Amino acid sequence: MQPLLKVENLVKHYAAGRSAGTKVKLAALDGVSLSIPSGETLALVGESGSGKSTLALCIACLERPTSGNIWFEGIDVTALDENQQRLLRPQIQLVFQDPASSLNPRWTALDIVSEPFLVQRHFTKPDRAVRALQLLDRVAIPRKMAARRADELSGGQKQRLAIARALALEPKIIILDEALSALDCSVQAQIANLLLELQCSLGLTYLFITHNFAMAAHLADQIAVMDRGRIVESGPAENVLRSPRHQATRSLIAAMPRFIETPGVLVHS
Amino acid sequence: MRYFIRRALHAVFLFFGVSLLTFLFSALTPGNYFDEMRLNPQISPEAVAALRAQYQLDRPLPIRYAHWLNAVAHGQMGFSFAYNSPVAPLLWVRARNTLLLTATATLLAWLLALPLGICSAARFGRAPDRVLSWTTATLLVIPDLVLALGLLILAVRTGWFPTGGLVSVGFDEFSALQKLRDLTLHMALPVTALVLATLPMLVRHVRASVAEVLDAPFLRAGAGHGLPEHKLLLGYALRAAANPLISLFGFSVGTLLSGSLLVEVVMSWPGLGPLLLESILARDLYVVIGGVLLSMVFLVAGNLFADILLYWADPRIRTAASAK
Amino acid sequence: MKQRRRLTKWLVVLLILHGIIAAAGFFAPYDPVEQDRERPYLPPMHIHMMEAHGHFHLRPFFYPLRLREGSFDQYEEDNATAVPLNFFTRGATYRLLGIVPSRIHLFGAASARVYLLGSDAYGRDQLSRILYGGQVSLLAGLLGAGITLFLGAFIGMAAGYFGGWRDDLLMRIAELFLALPWLYLLFALRAFLPLSVSPLEAFLLVVVVIGMVGWARPARMVRGVVLSVKERDFVRAARGFGASDIYLLRRHILPETASVLLTQATILVPQFVLAEMTLSFLGLGVPEPMSSWGNLLATLQQYNVLVSYWWMYLPALAIVPFFLGYLSLASALHERTSTYKIDEKSKWNLS
Repeated sequence: MQPLLKVENLVKHYAAGRSAGTKVKLAALDGVSLSIPSGETLALVGESGSGKSTLALCIACLERPTSGNIWFEGIDVTALDENQQRLLRPQIQLVFQDPASSLNPRWTALDIVSEPFLVQRHFTKPDRAVRALQLLDRVAIPRKMAARRADELSGGQKQRLAIARALALEPKIIILDEALSALDCSVQAQIANLLLELQCSLGLTYLFITHNFAMAAHLADQIAVMDRGRIVESGPAENVLRSPRHQATRSLIAAMPRFIETPGVLVHS
Repeated sequence: MRYFIRRALHAVFLFFGVSLLTFLFSALTPGNYFDEMRLNPQISPEAVAALRAQYQLDRPLPIRYAHWLNAVAHGQMGFSFAYNSPVAPLLWVRARNTLLLTATATLLAWLLALPLGICSAARFGRAPDRVLSWTTATLLVIPDLVLALGLLILAVRTGWFPTGGLVSVGFDEFSALQKLRDLTLHMALPVTALVLATLPMLVRHVRASVAEVLDAPFLRAGAGHGLPEHKLLLGYALRAAANPLISLFGFSVGTLLSGSLLVEVVMSWPGLGPLLLESILARDLYVVIGGVLLSMVFLVAGNLFADILLYWADPRIRTAASAK
Repeated sequence: MKQRRRLTKWLVVLLILHGIIAAAGFFAPYDPVEQDRERPYLPPMHIHMMEAHGHFHLRPFFYPLRLREGSFDQYEEDNATAVPLNFFTRGATYRLLGIVPSRIHLFGAASARVYLLGSDAYGRDQLSRILYGGQVSLLAGLLGAGITLFLGAFIGMAAGYFGGWRDDLLMRIAELFLALPWLYLLFALRAFLPLSVSPLEAFLLVVVVIGMVGWARPARMVRGVVLSVKERDFVRAARGFGASDIYLLRRHILPETASVLLTQATILVPQFVLAEMTLSFLGLGVPEPMSSWGNLLATLQQYNVLVSYWWMYLPALAIVPFFLGYLSLASALHERTSTYKIDEKSKWNLS
């Protein structure tokens, strides 16, 4: 069976200004390949600056890669033009790291969640409100918060809102770009569990981007490690965690906080 | 260095852009100097046509523009139909008169604004500062037209100052001292109007810049060391606050030719302003273009001058530029 | 909170000032074109409550002026006849806000004309002319500012959103406009257009010319806002749902520019009113018989008027309260949006 998402040799260059007369190109992605079967979670782990966000934007069709291919459900997305891509984008949704900037702070929660319907011109206005409220229920945001402005919500609630919005158009795959990194520890756990539960009930596929190996290990079926624009290691989560081969993987694993479980006590080593 | 070359090129671009724009505009709009003549029954249509041909108004636009550019390259700026003389000498005389006025006014305004602003910042929130703030606010609210007219009426009713012109009749026969006195009296009113118009904004900016700097730790340290107030203010605070003020000064220089148009017209000062107005009304094309370009040159030069000053005065800009 | 009150205070002040001018017909005792050739250049009349021989009247009154013996322009009060002021009196017909016809004026007099601010060469009441003239000048300023802001917003958004060569081109043109001294540009633009047109056409020309001169600065500011908003994630997210450019501009970017545009408006309107006054003063603006604050001042260019008839200067003062209102509003708005504040209390004093 073909994977839901397949990326082949993706390259993305950015022009980064001039130095001594020649144009300097920044290679954010230097030949990235990966694939995600339907219903699974691939965790993409790497340090800041390794190109993870660029990859997320390319897959979500918000940036055009310099070269390479992206296949979504067998369709070559990179070969489509702007209008065709616009039709496809709702199926690949993105949840950003900082909900303070990914949600328009002046809009109410209800408006934010119903925006996808508005943009796609689905449903009538009252219908949109009904569906939006259902989405809020799904992510456990109390209905009375629906009329509040986004900047009045807590960090965890904001991120739930972002997830609810991402679910609105019933996407096949959700890319979570460091979606938990800006949250407190306890909130992270809550949202992670929400994500797992949604995946179970809705059959979602996740591309989970993070620099936190522990989180990746917790959520993912497969892990791919990214370093300086390349995938340097990938495989099932257990394998990568137990026997890392590349230096980058090893340093990321070493950076994880370890907990030694002694009876009744959790000690940080 | 590359930075300044870029700025110079930019200025040249502006020059071409503005002159082209003005030429284009004059071609697209109806009417020219000779339309008025055509209405005059005493001048035959053939004579009008001959004059037009003489001034090449019947040639297509690009050719006229090219001719004009050529003339400018040789230091000439076209011909004035109304004054029947080349434009350049006309402009220089008037520009000189304007500069006399504005340079004096600008100098005076800055000489007043700096101490007033600094003292105000040093006594922030206290009585002298509040009085000054209130005064500047009041002056700001009175537009220059109102100010100029008001001063004029004052002059007329008190008779202390002459109400127009550069010099009195019989100026040439005066002794040197009398000449100076006469000129000063004639300048007094327009200069006052200009100073009153520009002073409030300057004082505000100086006050804001210096006040912002006074907060800095390095000044508190200086005071802690026992440095006297005037040394702190003049030697340290002023230098730190200088950047925005230098830009402002450049802007002041830039508006030397163009900022006094209204005052000159109201006070009948024979400067660039009234000339421009007349020429516009008479559709004297080349004078208008020449005048606009001249003041634009000053504007651009003023900005460039500010940039050079900043480069010289602020070591941070120098190191940043050489690090590139 | 204090800022909120300042803001509201000045907003109310401006509303009242504009309201007075809008209802000029009510506040003005006479029609502005009504001439009285027998009373040219009347000085402002004094309103008394107490007659010369000590008789106190509850209702204010005035003495009509008559020519002094042997003089042709010196007036004196005619102490014999005291003409009382009537309030809410019926006078010339006018249209409130241009729609509702009415004959009620705030004050007037029955047997003689009251010239609170004097009269001009044709005996027209200056107070009425100032009030009606305000309508023209203020409208020109408001409309001109509207055009400029619309142009500036449109160009700024196009340049900022689409970027690339369009942005470069538009910003170069903006720099060109910024490099020109605006007063010169104003005159040149206006004067190169037909000069002898009807008052209405002249007014429209003035508005259009004023509007077209000042778009560069608002455009640059709007462009700055657009550039920063364009990169925000919520705009990206909306694109992720398939939003079109127009949707993004209209729903996300435009609201962010609102505060910049508002602040610009409070600065531009008084400047543009002044621009109209300047143009009309120099003969390039609204012509007679329509009155505007500018052309009311034009008579001051005659030396004899300047010397003898000082009340012809009063129209110049009419703009001052408006300047005060707008500039204070601008400063209140600026305080609200600016991040830098000089903390008054902790100000370190050098003494």
